[in-house]
Amino acid sequence: MRRRLLLTTIALSSLLLAAPALAQDKPYAGTTITVLMPSPQSPEIAAKFEAATGIKVDLQTLSWDDIRPKLIAALIAGTAPADVTEFDWSWTGQFAAADWYLPLNDAIDAETVKDIAGSTIFTINGKLLGVPYTNDFRVMLINRKHFTDAGITDTPKTLAELMADAKIIKEKGIAEYPVGLPLSPTEGASTTWYLLTKAFGGELFDADFKPAFTTPDSAGYRAMAYEIELLKAGLVDPAATGLRDAQINDEYFAKGLTSIMISGEPGRLGQMNDPAQAKVAGQVEAILVATESGQTRSYGLLEALAVPKASANQGAAIEFVKWFTSKEWQVENYGTGVLPTRTSALAALNDAGKLQSGDVLVEESKYVEALFPQGTPTWYPEFSTAVNTNLNSAAKGEITVDQAVANIATAVEEAKVE
Amino acid sequence: MTAAVATRADAAGRTALKGDAVLGLLMVAPIVITMLALVIVPLGQTLWDSLHRINPMQAGTPFIGAGNYARMLGDADVGRAWINTVIYVAIAVSVETVIGILAAALINQVKVGRQWILAAVILPWALPGVVNSVIWLFIYQPGAGLLNAILVAFGLPFENHVWFNDRWSAMLAVVVVHIWRMLPLTIVIVLAAMQSIPLHLYEAAHIDGATRPQMFFTITLPLIGSAVAVAMTNATVAAFNIFDEAWVLAGANLGTRPILVQIYLETFQNLRFSYGMALSLVLTAISLIVSLVFVLRFYRTTRFE
Repeated sequence: MRRRLLLTTIALSSLLLAAPALAQDKPYAGTTITVLMPSPQSPEIAAKFEAATGIKVDLQTLSWDDIRPKLIAALIAGTAPADVTEFDWSWTGQFAAADWYLPLNDAIDAETVKDIAGSTIFTINGKLLGVPYTNDFRVMLINRKHFTDAGITDTPKTLAELMADAKIIKEKGIAEYPVGLPLSPTEGASTTWYLLTKAFGGELFDADFKPAFTTPDSAGYRAMAYEIELLKAGLVDPAATGLRDAQINDEYFAKGLTSIMISGEPGRLGQMNDPAQAKVAGQVEAILVATESGQTRSYGLLEALAVPKASANQGAAIEFVKWFTSKEWQVENYGTGVLPTRTSALAALNDAGKLQSGDVLVEESKYVEALFPQGTPTWYPEFSTAVNTNLNSAAKGEITVDQAVANIATAVEEAKVE
Repeated sequence: MTAAVATRADAAGRTALKGDAVLGLLMVAPIVITMLALVIVPLGQTLWDSLHRINPMQAGTPFIGAGNYARMLGDADVGRAWINTVIYVAIAVSVETVIGILAAALINQVKVGRQWILAAVILPWALPGVVNSVIWLFIYQPGAGLLNAILVAFGLPFENHVWFNDRWSAMLAVVVVHIWRMLPLTIVIVLAAMQSIPLHLYEAAHIDGATRPQMFFTITLPLIGSAVAVAMTNATVAAFNIFDEAWVLAGANLGTRPILVQIYLETFQNLRFSYGMALSLVLTAISLIVSLVFVLRFYRTTRFE
């Protein structure tokens, strides 16, 4: 009896002593936070995060295009759309100016910021507004089988070689429209033009944000002319004027109807080589972005997680951001098609042989630049819409490339006035 | 004595009148309060806000007077969107009215199973606009789309035809979906009016030797005038507010972009909230003015002649 009492006392004392330590390990245990991210996301997020931190997650997913209006409607009203939200690179200028998000400098350690090079894109005036979780830089995706069947053994390094290869694939009847190129009035058409502008060796703007794409010898002008040439040569499906990049990926490239995705997403490799999701499984690989000179270039379109200032659970929300961008979770989450933003996670996956086209991705990642080294301007969304609507009109033959670039430049100047 | 009785009667009358007035006020109070809270006050607030610069990227909300209204006069995108919208309204209202009246007249002749026909007719209107648009997106698809397949089956050269690569066919494609969605409402409104016309008028006309077209133009059409005005008002407001069809089928496409898509872009993309408000108010005012023209015209022809 005395022994039992002693054991009970020791057990209770241990629990009492451990309680503060447990509380320190999981200071927000029992809290519930809401998280708003684009679909699809891993179904294991809520359970694994709760196991790690004791914090419950109400994960809400929306299509990427629907997230922004929901965020803005809530943020303009001074409320939090969720405790943690998606934060795209293209929103940084506007959202920083609106002062809607919490700076995370004190919450995220320097080692993490160093390991996630893309953090600089989300750092405005020294404030880290979001921590990148998906490494969406651009490569080119090709269907290697189409190339081999067409008798092409070399990988295209220049844009001229790329067009020549596409013509051979078309002539051999392997794909009627070998090049996947979004030309619809959507963001995907804009981002492809940005990539080709880099590939032609130029930039969109000079250091003072003056348009650098209006003259016929400029990279932006030639990039647009190249897109129209691909279309007119019958290498791009005329229906591309109404297709989003995701549709071209899912309904054309994944079904073997096209051979080259000009603006390829590394995260798609898993999907394309999964027999359950694509007919072309085992045929797809990433190649370095072909350029005019043959020296590859790319840029990052990273997406981050951020915490609105209006969130009532900022501490727990920051815990989620930390957990979601940790090396361990990034390595695990790669299985659902999310390419890690941490250099260490990428290296770990590549070393383990799990990173598809790993050598190409690691090589391309060395050439990833910021689209706007000066910082994303507040008028970026207006610029992007002007790009994709005018590119769309040029592709439909309603206006010339000259008119399209002039219209885009005018839209930029008008947007800058306010 | 007589004077005293008269005074008492006057007082009783006044009390009854007062009681009626109070009852009347009580009865209209719910709708008045609702309209004030949900329409008048927000409208006033929107009007006031539209006179300020409200942009979360800029500090403060300074009063700028009619600045937002002046701005839209020189905004090329807004101008283009207005032209597109007016074209949508003209096509949608005329087609919905003409086909709506004819379809209602046809259904009115059906004696057996009318309720089933009505249920089928009303289905597109009952579906959300986005669902209708997505269905039509598949119909218009260049490759496997139903429309191209039907045209090809008739031997026409429409294999892989892209309907949205030409501005006019794209606008037509958008407005067809809108008409598909809104036409049932016109049919239902007009049909209800047709069913309320006394049969003896037609019997008398028949005895007088009137033909069917004569009966339609001299009896039916004048007596459904008010209903047609209501249907046209509804069609006009809906066409001015066309959004789902244009957005789902053609996105921000310049050639098909209606004013409501432009307002959406200005507000949620460019974050110019007060400019969006000013545009919304102008849209509301114009659609109401155009609707008022129909109502007044039909009111005069049906009430004063």
